Amino acid sequence: MRARTLLWQVVAIPVLVAFGLVYLFPLYWLVATSLKGQGELLGQIVPTLVPQAPTLEAFHTVLVEKGGWKLLRNSVLVCGATVLTTLILGLLITYPITRLPVSRRVRVGVLNWALSLRFLPPVAVVVPYFGVVRTLQLYDNPLALVFIYTLFNLPFSIWMLKSFLAEVPLELEEAALVDGATRPVSFFRVVLPLIAPGLLAAGIIIFAFAWSEFLFALILTQTPSAQTFPVGVQSFVTQFNLIWNEMAAAGLIALLVPLVLMILARRYVLAGLTFGVIREK
Amino acid sequence: MADLGDPVHPALLRRREREGLSRQQRLAYWMLFPVLGVVFCIVSYPLVVALMQSVTATRGGEFVGLLNYQAVLENPLLYASLKQTAIYAAIVLPLEIVLGLLLALLVHRTVRSGWLRLVLYLLAITPIVIPPVAVGVIFRLIYAPNYGVLNHLLIMAGWIEGEINWLGQPYTAMLAVASVDVWQWTPFVYLVLFAGLQTVPRESVEAAQVDGATPWSQFWHIELPYLRPLLLLILFFRLADVLRVFDHIFVLTGGGPGTTTQLLSLYLYRIAFKFFDTGEAAALAVMVMVGISLLYSFITRLLPLERD
Repeated sequence: MRARTLLWQVVAIPVLVAFGLVYLFPLYWLVATSLKGQGELLGQIVPTLVPQAPTLEAFHTVLVEKGGWKLLRNSVLVCGATVLTTLILGLLITYPITRLPVSRRVRVGVLNWALSLRFLPPVAVVVPYFGVVRTLQLYDNPLALVFIYTLFNLPFSIWMLKSFLAEVPLELEEAALVDGATRPVSFFRVVLPLIAPGLLAAGIIIFAFAWSEFLFALILTQTPSAQTFPVGVQSFVTQFNLIWNEMAAAGLIALLVPLVLMILARRYVLAGLTFGVIREK
Repeated sequence: MADLGDPVHPALLRRREREGLSRQQRLAYWMLFPVLGVVFCIVSYPLVVALMQSVTATRGGEFVGLLNYQAVLENPLLYASLKQTAIYAAIVLPLEIVLGLLLALLVHRTVRSGWLRLVLYLLAITPIVIPPVAVGVIFRLIYAPNYGVLNHLLIMAGWIEGEINWLGQPYTAMLAVASVDVWQWTPFVYLVLFAGLQTVPRESVEAAQVDGATPWSQFWHIELPYLRPLLLLILFFRLADVLRVFDHIFVLTGGGPGTTTQLLSLYLYRIAFKFFDTGEAAALAVMVMVGISLLYSFITRLLPLERD
């Protein structure tokens, strides 16, 4: 038995290391490119594998000279608002179906409906939405994005909040109600503190998802006053004359935010992505 | 003995209980229905708009019946995009599932230290959480002509002579775009299956090993039954994602060269926002939604989700 495990390990280590290198190299190349100066990019025909004179020049250009700050601010506002509305709507839907005596048909119906929304490709919805947003005069307005991001994050948050709420024993809340607390009071005093960590994690994940969204932001916004950061990143890639270090810097900024957030909420990421099927211990 | 301690009639008690219950139920429905109603309207309204747009002319706005649908179905580009989507799925899904499964088994069998497992977990969630646009940027820096580092590495290794325009030739462009998907989503498959392997009871594995089971039969007879529902789950989520994939292809090739990486979602985008043919785009959107609902209703029954 032991010999077999050892054999496996001898095979495993090189394979895992090779895999890890292939996986990490693209990320390394992004970071390396973002740290190169303009001179280094123009000077060489064959790119240098390690930046010769690391500089933050490209980040400065992206954020300050090309106005990336503004788009970052828009992104933060849009994502923050999305988190709030999604969590409130999610709680309003999941609280009754998990903690009040609704019929099984309603409960299963709501959950199935939420799941089916996950399957809907945004691009099929974007055409009619574009028309709706224009008639409501919300074109190039961050509110339109908050609206739509809420909708697309709702299925995930319903499934996640459902599992958190179901874990709080009903007796706790009933005890508070018997003692004369009203339902809102018992919710805020008893249930909310218990689901707070899960709520925070769900909020972080919704923030990261909304942060990554690109298609709706591309179509529903036009000017830097409403565009989100991914749209800005895209503009560095599709312009006529590609400036590699600035493109890399923009990409790096775009990925740092969700990466840091997801590492903070790491215990819940997989549960979120699989609608609560996989739970980390 | 007279029943002095309980002045309340049992029937009254039962009624009170019933009323109490129904008050809670009323509260539940009062909370639920306004919110669900609003969300339902917000979801459905665009569908109605899409249906209406799909039977009106893009220019002029008069009723044209099913002409837009006919136009969609007569356009050979539709079938090209369906074919590209199928090719993409056929490359990406099996590769991700096989690679993810192999990795999960390898790590499950060999890596014992919890610290190392945490490192692998963090490494695995990294690609998943990167915004697809940024993933597009990352692979632009790998595959692009001139600065793209893949060509230089291959030349240094002596495997190729001159530069290959990965994103500019039909076959390599499709492979490049698909490789990005594999890079980003194999870790997801790995994570789900690895978590699944942890649920296999240790006793049955040990019993099998004592009986002299080969690693293969241990996998096939003991571990695979635990993974089967998860494989379905992975298929569901990955299929949903392949049908909506847009961002990284938009950034890498924009659907080109020609239309060789123009998957269904990019094709729809092009009709709506490059040709501004709203009628045809709406008709296609309606057809996509109907098709996907059918696919969804077929696949959803098989899923291992806790619905209660």
